[in-house]
Amino acid sequence: MQSVEEIEQRIVNARRTFDGLRAEMARMIVGHEELIEQVFIALVCGGHCLLEGVPGLGKTLMVRSLGETLSLSFSRIQFTPDLMPADITGTNMLTDDPSGRKIFEFQRGPLFAHIVLADEINRATPKTQSALLEAMQEQSVTVGGKMHRLENPFMVLATQNPIEMEGTYPLPEAQVDRFFFKLLLQFPSRAELARIADLTTAAPPSALREVLDAPGILQMRQWVREVPLADVVKDYAVRLVLSTHPQLKQANGSGGLAQRFVMYGSSPRGLQSLILAAKGRALLAGRPNVSFDDIRSLLLPSLRHRLILNLEADAEGVNAEKILSEVAEQVPEVE
Amino acid sequence: MENLEAKFAGLLHWERRKRREQTLLAVSCYAAALAIILSPFDIYLPNPWLRWLAPVALFFSLAPWFLHRARWRLGDSARALVKLDKTLGLEERAVTAWELSTRKETQGAALLVLHQAEERLRSLEPRAVSPRRWNWPAYAALPLLALWFMLLWFDFDRGDEQARYGGPPTLAHRLREYSRELQEKAKNEGLRETLNLSRELEKTAQKNIEAKSADESVKKELAGAAGKFAAAAQSSAEKSSFSNGASEQSLKDLKAEIEATRDLLQLPEPAQANQETGQRWMERLAAMPQLKRQFENSEGGGQGLGQKELKSFLDKLEQQVTGELDRRSLIDAQQYLEQLMKQGQGAKGENYARSGAPGEQDPSAEGAREKNPNSLPGKEPGKQDQDSGSLSELRPGASTQVKGLLGEGESSALDFKGKPTAGKSAVPQAEITASYRRQAEQELNSERVPDALKETIRNYFLSLGEVKSK
Repeated sequence: MQSVEEIEQRIVNARRTFDGLRAEMARMIVGHEELIEQVFIALVCGGHCLLEGVPGLGKTLMVRSLGETLSLSFSRIQFTPDLMPADITGTNMLTDDPSGRKIFEFQRGPLFAHIVLADEINRATPKTQSALLEAMQEQSVTVGGKMHRLENPFMVLATQNPIEMEGTYPLPEAQVDRFFFKLLLQFPSRAELARIADLTTAAPPSALREVLDAPGILQMRQWVREVPLADVVKDYAVRLVLSTHPQLKQANGSGGLAQRFVMYGSSPRGLQSLILAAKGRALLAGRPNVSFDDIRSLLLPSLRHRLILNLEADAEGVNAEKILSEVAEQVPEVE
Repeated sequence: MENLEAKFAGLLHWERRKRREQTLLAVSCYAAALAIILSPFDIYLPNPWLRWLAPVALFFSLAPWFLHRARWRLGDSARALVKLDKTLGLEERAVTAWELSTRKETQGAALLVLHQAEERLRSLEPRAVSPRRWNWPAYAALPLLALWFMLLWFDFDRGDEQARYGGPPTLAHRLREYSRELQEKAKNEGLRETLNLSRELEKTAQKNIEAKSADESVKKELAGAAGKFAAAAQSSAEKSSFSNGASEQSLKDLKAEIEATRDLLQLPEPAQANQETGQRWMERLAAMPQLKRQFENSEGGGQGLGQKELKSFLDKLEQQVTGELDRRSLIDAQQYLEQLMKQGQGAKGENYARSGAPGEQDPSAEGAREKNPNSLPGKEPGKQDQDSGSLSELRPGASTQVKGLLGEGESSALDFKGKPTAGKSAVPQAEITASYRRQAEQELNSERVPDALKETIRNYFLSLGEVKSK
């Protein structure tokens, strides 16, 4: 049985690790502090992220930098319409064994890395996109009837461009639901833009320092799940998720935009993500328990991609962020 | 851990107490408001003093329901601890620690949460962290209670207490009613002294009603008032030329005859008849027995009086009659006041109980006068009416008329059948003629008789007496 001091120390360590990671990332990435925190939360919670932003905002650089600071293997897959599932999972190749016999040997695809950047995932065909399903959910791939375990920790960071919709294949709902977070990259501010110019046109910065390794991440994943959650806070999260369901309006007391523009609300995976992410945030904040603020601050990244809006929402220009913001305002912390 | 649980228990106990206080204050507020709203229905209470208990009764009626509705639930404890977290910036450590302590979880990070919560709540003082906050019912309760108290204190809810309550009227109320009746009578009959003193009496009664004086103190003032009436009666007696033997009815008859005579004096007389005026008056006087008696008692028996002398004589006579009626009215009032003074509480209650339901009868008309109907205004003091009390056995020749005043409400009548007894009428013809003439005068004075016919009618009734005298 661990003592109070030991537990306190490990939480302090988690906080320090995160502070170190943030500092290292800041050397390479300008701005996006909140985004980096949320990516790290997803990592320590064992989730995958869908990054959405226009080209040139540093998505790839951020993922690469994350891999460097965490001392994790990194691979990048550029999704194109002609990309086949075997191209990402790997395939059995006919080779000679040492005795000269012809055998099939599994050649691991780019999925076999700790951090996989699935760049422009919506450009691949649904068939290829589906190849990611098993990898993301089961953390394994099956080729030729044989299951191959992926790296642990394993994290997919997929990106998609919201403006170039020509020749793209929108991700199926089932796949979108498997992303722990959907993160939006905002265009940098004036000061940030100036800082980006300085950083990228001068001498490249020195190599990033490793602040955490794979075993450390796995250890943190275990700690995250030990963070206590009060029933009253859990109930708040449950009511928030229920509030996204228009057909359950009477039960949760929400109304307004969700009632009008949402076709289907968040799945139970949304609640799981929300609570687990809140625990991760509490841990990274050096706090041993989840607060209402943890839940509230992670509502958008956890649920925004899980709401299916109706055509009226498209016509009115209402998006999931607007609806979730209203839900967060309407649902009281304690009923 | 135990210390933390004690802290939580202390905090929740304080919050429960605040909830109870607020609930009870809200109940007080609603009870006071309801008491004000329901105060017009106080009259239906069996006893008037019960109205002072209305807020208390409402409070105890409402309190169980309110307390049940605002009972402390588990969610309230969580809410109180969340509020504590917000107040102290504990980021839900307190509520998490409270739940962990109730679940007896003491492992892993739970232990750290409990430890941190215990450290931060070590100096927790519930009263300081979560002081009482009064809501609007708390502020409204006292003003509403004060308003209710003022309304009751100033009898806003009762209006005329006697009319609305079944309880006995106070002495002051009865005195006021009597003084008003007396004033009415004095105005009708032109009794100046009685009118003045009855007005004073009403002022005295009103003053005592407003001051809510006790009956005993009113009695002291009654003694003074009775003395005034006695003094005024004594003063009138010295001027009066009528003997006590003259009945009040005969005085009233005399007054009516004087009025009738005045009307006759205003009729135009033929010029040749001026010399015969005295003789003619004497003939007409035959139909006016009371006036005739006065003429006979006067110097010269009223012979040879001219019109002016006759008027002068009638003025003087009327003044004397009115003075005598005034005196008797004063004595009547004095006796009534003395009886009021002698009356005890028991008699009052008994009298009032006999008066029936409120509104059916004027309760102030009861009381002492019921005991002694001769004390009623208009009755001759000290003289017992033979027909008062229980009805006597009907016998031939006896009056079959039950005397009494007709008032509002239901009435009943009895018809008696019997053989007429042969013999002379007990009522003299002269009295009947005079009575008819009085009625005729009254009718002539009303609008129901056309002016053109008044003189004809008057002459007819006067002719009745003339025929008899011839």
